[in-house]
Amino acid sequence: MKKLVFLISLVSVVMTAALASAAEPIKLGYLAALTGEYAPYGIAEVNSAKMFFDKLNNAGGVLGHPVELISYDTKSRPEDAVNAVRRMIESDKVVAVLGSNTSSINLATGPLVNAAKVPQIGTATTNPAVTVDENGKVYPYSFRICFTDPYQGTIAAEFAYNDLGKKRAAILWNVGSDYAQGLREFFIAHYKKLGGEIVIDEGYRDSDVDFRAQLALVKQSGVDFLFLPGLGRDMGLIIKQAREMGLDNEQLKVVGGDGYGEFMIDIAGNALVGTYWITHVNYYDPNMQPIFKEYQEVYKEEAKEFGNVTLAYDLAKWVTDAIERAGTAEGPAIAKALEETKGLKLMHFTLTIDPTDHNPLNKPGIILTIGEDLKSAFFKEVAPK
Amino acid sequence: MQFQILIQQIVNGLSLGSVYALIAVGYSLVYSILLFSNFSHGGFLVIGGYICYYMLALENTQFWTSFINSESALARVFAKIWSPGLISNIWFASAVSLIGAGIAAVIVEKMAYKPIRERTPTTLYILIASMGMSIVIENLFVVTIGGRYKAIPPVIPMQTVELFAGATTSAFDLLSLATSVIFLAALQSFLVKTKWGLAIRAASCNLKVTGMMGVNVNRLIAIVFFVAGMLAAVGGIFLSARYTLYPQLGGNITTKAFVAAVIGGLGSLPGAVAGSVILGLAEMLTTGFVSSQFRDLIVFTLLIGTLIIRPGGLFGKSIVEKI
Repeated sequence: MKKLVFLISLVSVVMTAALASAAEPIKLGYLAALTGEYAPYGIAEVNSAKMFFDKLNNAGGVLGHPVELISYDTKSRPEDAVNAVRRMIESDKVVAVLGSNTSSINLATGPLVNAAKVPQIGTATTNPAVTVDENGKVYPYSFRICFTDPYQGTIAAEFAYNDLGKKRAAILWNVGSDYAQGLREFFIAHYKKLGGEIVIDEGYRDSDVDFRAQLALVKQSGVDFLFLPGLGRDMGLIIKQAREMGLDNEQLKVVGGDGYGEFMIDIAGNALVGTYWITHVNYYDPNMQPIFKEYQEVYKEEAKEFGNVTLAYDLAKWVTDAIERAGTAEGPAIAKALEETKGLKLMHFTLTIDPTDHNPLNKPGIILTIGEDLKSAFFKEVAPK
Repeated sequence: MQFQILIQQIVNGLSLGSVYALIAVGYSLVYSILLFSNFSHGGFLVIGGYICYYMLALENTQFWTSFINSESALARVFAKIWSPGLISNIWFASAVSLIGAGIAAVIVEKMAYKPIRERTPTTLYILIASMGMSIVIENLFVVTIGGRYKAIPPVIPMQTVELFAGATTSAFDLLSLATSVIFLAALQSFLVKTKWGLAIRAASCNLKVTGMMGVNVNRLIAIVFFVAGMLAAVGGIFLSARYTLYPQLGGNITTKAFVAAVIGGLGSLPGAVAGSVILGLAEMLTTGFVSSQFRDLIVFTLLIGTLIIRPGGLFGKSIVEKI
């Protein structure tokens, strides 16, 4: 019996050694909502990252190893995300977690990745608490590739107050979302500082689809500006219902945050014409066209959620660069390389990381507007002050 | 000012309540016969919505063109009744959707519930099967069609209609209210005027005795599920036109319809309608005069309050074995 055990362990040791010598893949996790209401964003991200790594592997991989991307579905639920990340770290042994695009998710998985010393980089996790604790101290293994909500809230408030000339505002927001809550707070703070007044501030729940009761209050109050710090479906339905209630674009200008998704045009159609959205990516930037074209060729469908496609692609590029600079595929070394990123030329901007809060430095915000042709159009770029 | 909000929220509440009513009545109808809450009811609604969506989208597809041009017997029969624009006609699409959802409901009953109800008199098992069924249907759509939002083409008019006292509604709301009333009235006359209606009313008093009196119970149950599926599809078409179509649509809104059915008294059709209107009004008025954040708190307090004071709901008949 003892001999048998010895023999088996010997065989397994030999086999592991043999496998390791044949360029073992570097494993990266991708965390995204692949089913459920926010799947359109998540699927676009995983597809885009996969497209990047497939190309990379064909060209020889990184540090001589191919990259294996392992994606898990969060179903947009923090509890599922925690399980997924645990599985990535403990059984898949990933060296970094890419995604998710939701602050609530990365807030939940933060303690886990920091304890395991595996860096996690969010694509659109704009809530500041994702990377720093309440005392402003940075979590060593939490990163983001996007701007933050205070910054986004500032852009929105200034755009509404100065560019649109709206001094009174209404806000409808999802009370169950960390993202919405944060963005709303930062918007209100800056808008008030500018001299604006918040007249209506109403909440709704995650599963809500009918917003007419809240919109009736907006209509009643006569406020002609609405700020939406929500996600695609809610915002699409709110705008659609507002227009149905007779609040046209003249009576109610709408500005929303980066929860904007192109699928909102399917939901709300004409109702969206004339609305403004603060996002990360300028779709019409010539630098980005190759990614969208490639995406179309690989997946036989348009890169509709172009913001997510670009963020995920650039994230994949950034992580690859960090692994290369680290010279080894180990969590702590990768985290250090991520932190030291300086002047890295990505597709949609040039990335330098602020080591004190793990935010990209001076990342520009893009304001989109929806035209008569039901396409999003570049409106202006807002450079940070 | 306050008066105007009041009128506006009442109008909104009635229109929301009328859609809840279509779904709640389906719940109550099944409950009245089999004494269990059919949680897969939301699935029928989504099936109805998707059939309508694909019917509307079908006419311009390759599949349709090649089908019509093929020489198969079915295509020849179809070509006789087909005229350009027929398939994408909302009335035709809705009719197919209603029948499709009705058939789906009958199939679900035959596959999942019939084997259970033939083996055990305890309705708890069917209730659990129906919860499972609702998840199965939702996920079937997730894996086959995907989670993306589908918007029904704007075939239903949405213009704003001015009412008195400055309140507004949309043509869509008026249409959905009218449709609900028509379908509920049709159901009522089906139950009162026809032989099968009589059998259903008898079965809601006592299914076993009805069977002993010579009524084919399996067929009766199939008819009840078919009708419930059709009503769900009507709700599904309106809901997906208003809130867009996605696999989880059923779950979100049917919880509300279920609450409405319980407030009204499960098993009672007038109760389901009354409960839906009360719920719709309560939701809208809470948001209008208290705060949107208190809405669910107040709605569910209303539910618990009703159950404490009248455990059978407002129009409920008996309180035994309600699950």
